[in-house]
Amino acid sequence: MSFQLDCPNCGIRPVWEFHFGGPSRKRPEPDDPAVTERQWAEYLYNRPNTCGEQTEWWYHRSACKTWFLARRDTRTDQVLETRLFAPQEAAGG
Amino acid sequence: MADSHEGVEFEFDGKTIRARAGQTVSGALHAEGEHILSRSFKYHRPRGLLCASGRCPNCLCTVNGTPNVRICTVPAEEGLVVKTQNAWPRVKFDLLSIFDRLHKFMPVGFYYKMMYKPRWMWPVWEKFIRRIAGLGNVDRRTGGEATYDKLNLFCDVAVVGGGWAGLSAAREAARAGMSVTLIDDQPELGGHLRFDPDLADAGLADVIRDVRENPAIQVWDRATVFGLYEGNYLGIQRGNRMIRLRAREVIVTTGGWERPLVFENNDLPGVLLASAAQRLLHLDHCTFEGDAVVVTDNAQGYRVARQLAAAGTNIAAIVDVRENPPASEFQVIKERTLARARGARHVTGAVVGRFSGQPQSTIPCRWIIQAVGFTPANSLLYQNGCKLRHDEARDHGIVKTYARGTQSAGTVNGHHDPAAAALDGRCAGLAAAAALRPNDSGLSASRDELAAKLAAWPAGEMTSRHYVSPAQAKKKFVCLCEDVTEKDVCDAIAEGYSNIETLKRYSTVSMGPCQGKMCQGACIAICARENQQSIEQTGVTTSRPPEQPLPLGLLAGRALHFSLVRRTPMHDWHLRNGATMMDAGNWKRPQVYTTVEQEYEAVRGRAGLVDVSTLGKIELRGRDVVKFLEFIYPNRFENLAVGRVRYGVICDDAGILLDDGTIARLDTERFFLTTTTGNADAIDSWFRSWLAGKPGLDVRLTNISGSYAAMNLAGPRSRDILRKLTDADVSTAAMPYLAARQCDVAGVPAIILRVGFVGELGYEIHVPSQFGVHIWEAIIEAGKEFSLVPFGVEAQRLLRLEKKHLLPGVDTDALSNPLEADLPWIVKLDKPDFVGQRSLARASARGPRNRLVGFRISGDQIPQPPALIMHEGKLGGRVTSCSFSPAAGCAVGLAWVPAAISHNGDRIQIQVDGQTIVAVVQDEPFYDPPGEKLKS
Ligand SMILES: [Zn+2]
Repeated sequence: MSFQLDCPNCGIRPVWEFHFGGPSRKRPEPDDPAVTERQWAEYLYNRPNTCGEQTEWWYHRSACKTWFLARRDTRTDQVLETRLFAPQEAAGG
Repeated sequence: MADSHEGVEFEFDGKTIRARAGQTVSGALHAEGEHILSRSFKYHRPRGLLCASGRCPNCLCTVNGTPNVRICTVPAEEGLVVKTQNAWPRVKFDLLSIFDRLHKFMPVGFYYKMMYKPRWMWPVWEKFIRRIAGLGNVDRRTGGEATYDKLNLFCDVAVVGGGWAGLSAAREAARAGMSVTLIDDQPELGGHLRFDPDLADAGLADVIRDVRENPAIQVWDRATVFGLYEGNYLGIQRGNRMIRLRAREVIVTTGGWERPLVFENNDLPGVLLASAAQRLLHLDHCTFEGDAVVVTDNAQGYRVARQLAAAGTNIAAIVDVRENPPASEFQVIKERTLARARGARHVTGAVVGRFSGQPQSTIPCRWIIQAVGFTPANSLLYQNGCKLRHDEARDHGIVKTYARGTQSAGTVNGHHDPAAAALDGRCAGLAAAAALRPNDSGLSASRDELAAKLAAWPAGEMTSRHYVSPAQAKKKFVCLCEDVTEKDVCDAIAEGYSNIETLKRYSTVSMGPCQGKMCQGACIAICARENQQSIEQTGVTTSRPPEQPLPLGLLAGRALHFSLVRRTPMHDWHLRNGATMMDAGNWKRPQVYTTVEQEYEAVRGRAGLVDVSTLGKIELRGRDVVKFLEFIYPNRFENLAVGRVRYGVICDDAGILLDDGTIARLDTERFFLTTTTGNADAIDSWFRSWLAGKPGLDVRLTNISGSYAAMNLAGPRSRDILRKLTDADVSTAAMPYLAARQCDVAGVPAIILRVGFVGELGYEIHVPSQFGVHIWEAIIEAGKEFSLVPFGVEAQRLLRLEKKHLLPGVDTDALSNPLEADLPWIVKLDKPDFVGQRSLARASARGPRNRLVGFRISGDQIPQPPALIMHEGKLGGRVTSCSFSPAAGCAVGLAWVPAAISHNGDRIQIQVDGQTIVAVVQDEPFYDPPGEKLKS
């Protein structure tokens, strides 16, 4: 693990300045009766183990303390894009 | 002869060796006629110089106490102490060479087959193997003296290798405006042209000077790139320093490793690679006295023969594998190869034969020089994820697809002609620059122009696929590091280890110090032949860092991954006043000053002062803070008035309790939060993770943990003490329990929170850290008349335990939710969505399975956490805290127990040292159950 991430705040930094926050997933609306117990349990306990591109959260813990999204190919660790979460997105934390 | 050697003297196995200035240790030894430099790993056969370039294992010696140093890379210096290793009693007369006669008892996979049973014998075998098979001994007295350091660098383009291709690439990239770092493992730039005068033209010196003097090019010579990691991160060894270089583009121009031919006794001293002979001739200014036989299939063999002859060697014959060798001034024996080297401790003759085997003839000679081609040094390309294919026509691995940001050029690409290699290097330099400046169409145009020129270059000389002499024999060494013969490899394949990866592991071929540089080519060729596959189908073994063996000190050396020590502003005061300090995460905290009993008595009876600067402190400001807190916490905040503080716990979405702390509302839109010691960064990150998903919220968050010193003044007399230090009204009416105030204390601005972690009237006072010592000393001074004492973490823990206040992480774990952790009142399930709500609602509906309860024990035993709790003959829970409580007059504690036995008065069974002791569950705190003292 020696790839780099482009923090939207600070620019390109080595991966060890960051904390991995897991793949970005939509948090089911907790009080939506249509969300089943199984869906809620899936959200809590299961993580997709994507082989390929995924969008994930990263936290710049050694510097600006920004959480941002990165699109990364898990096979090559190529980071294709980094950006801040946009208001219109509905993904959860 | 010796008199002409001006320069230095060093010691070799006790003998004084004179060396010329600039000579390597091995060169000086060659000049002195010392040709046995080591004994082989398994059979203890004598070994001498083979590659003379720091690749093969044959010259591994102990130099000044450091084992496994390749003396062909060490400049001779005055006073060096060089010792041979792996021989007993000494390298010239090694009694362990008896193993050479026992080879039929040491078949391939010997260790696996012979020593795995009986199991009880393994420790004996292990000692035996380690004694006879080790590579050198670490000198424990001097081994620790070296200091290793790390250096971090970055550049646009890193060029690995300083030969023609690398020099050209570096120059071209620098010309295009890139910052370039060139790394080469030799003391001088120039690659193999340095020791092949027939190839080098006058331009070389100019190019080298140009590169050296170019301010855009940083040159690291004598530096080995041992790893190329993802993101173009290069690990480089340079002496005792590790350089970590981040490059945007990497150009690999590592050339090739000349490969030995596999024939009977090919490991005998006097058998050398052509490039080794050239190095000795031209760099070490040595000669080869006597007759030499050159075996070759290419022009290099003829060049080295001419160079040897010019230095006085008699070329007895050139054995050329090919049908139509070129005309030569030497005797050429065509369509023959070497069957065997004759000799016991040094070559005395070369046995030459046909490919079909018989008949053979012997040519007396002292030297056998082999020039049968190069294996591309492409392991860095493999490490970086490049895909290579085997070009059958050229018998050469060619890059099929490059990893991002990677180029290669020169011999490693199969361009042996120096001019073609230079052209290829320029292409790579331009390609790297073009990749970094994609909008500059001129760069890629120039690159394409050069590439077209290179494509039209006359096809270079082909090397034949001549790796292994066809003559049947037993001691044809494939892998010199591990003493693996062709027969061993064939036997392993016959035993079913026919895949190149399993073959490697079973036969240990390529697993020694050379990491396959000498043996990989032949091993793959044999594997392909035995499996009747092509080289491409056979594949290669995975290439991993390190490329070259490294001292472990290099990896461990000094770097910036020190562990942080955090001290509170009052740290020195604690030390001056007799505190025993303890670790709390990165923090140092006073554990106890005098005794826990004395400190406890003071707090309960009079007053005490504890340093709580280690609490995490987070300030939240903004219009939407209340909204955010309502979402993050299970309890309610919209009704928290300005000037009030509230206890809260933080849960995750599974309802698991993460942390606790207090939340004070200092102003309408300003909140002051505390977290437990060591959790500030995690909670900061937790808050920010939820805020990141709610970009519209007006919440600004600042972690001010280190900016504030904090102390808790507690005990019945604490109000009297505080009153002396502030003009603020501290009466119960003006500053009741759970009040939050901002006022001056001892002349400095402070935040005062009336909270009672220890169960007494108390004030948590936060001040900017530069005032920490001042206010601490002021309180101590003002408290003297009330006999106030400082108290430590131990007393604090006992005091809180008597109040049944839990410590997250001590009394809770990754399965604890607040409903079960004795905090059901805190969870307001009727609130709209908050983190953990759905899971807590479900847990609430299901009812508790386990609960955190208080207990008391009437006996004098104090079970230590995690003492186990038995229920109906099964494991039911565990004790998390337990101490003797002066207030209760007995041992009290907290424990997780099954819900069935979690009610007031239930009896629980705790296992202590194999005995069962009975404790009684108690709902009420053990001290001041109504909380009157707290609220007084
Ligand atoms: Zn940043």
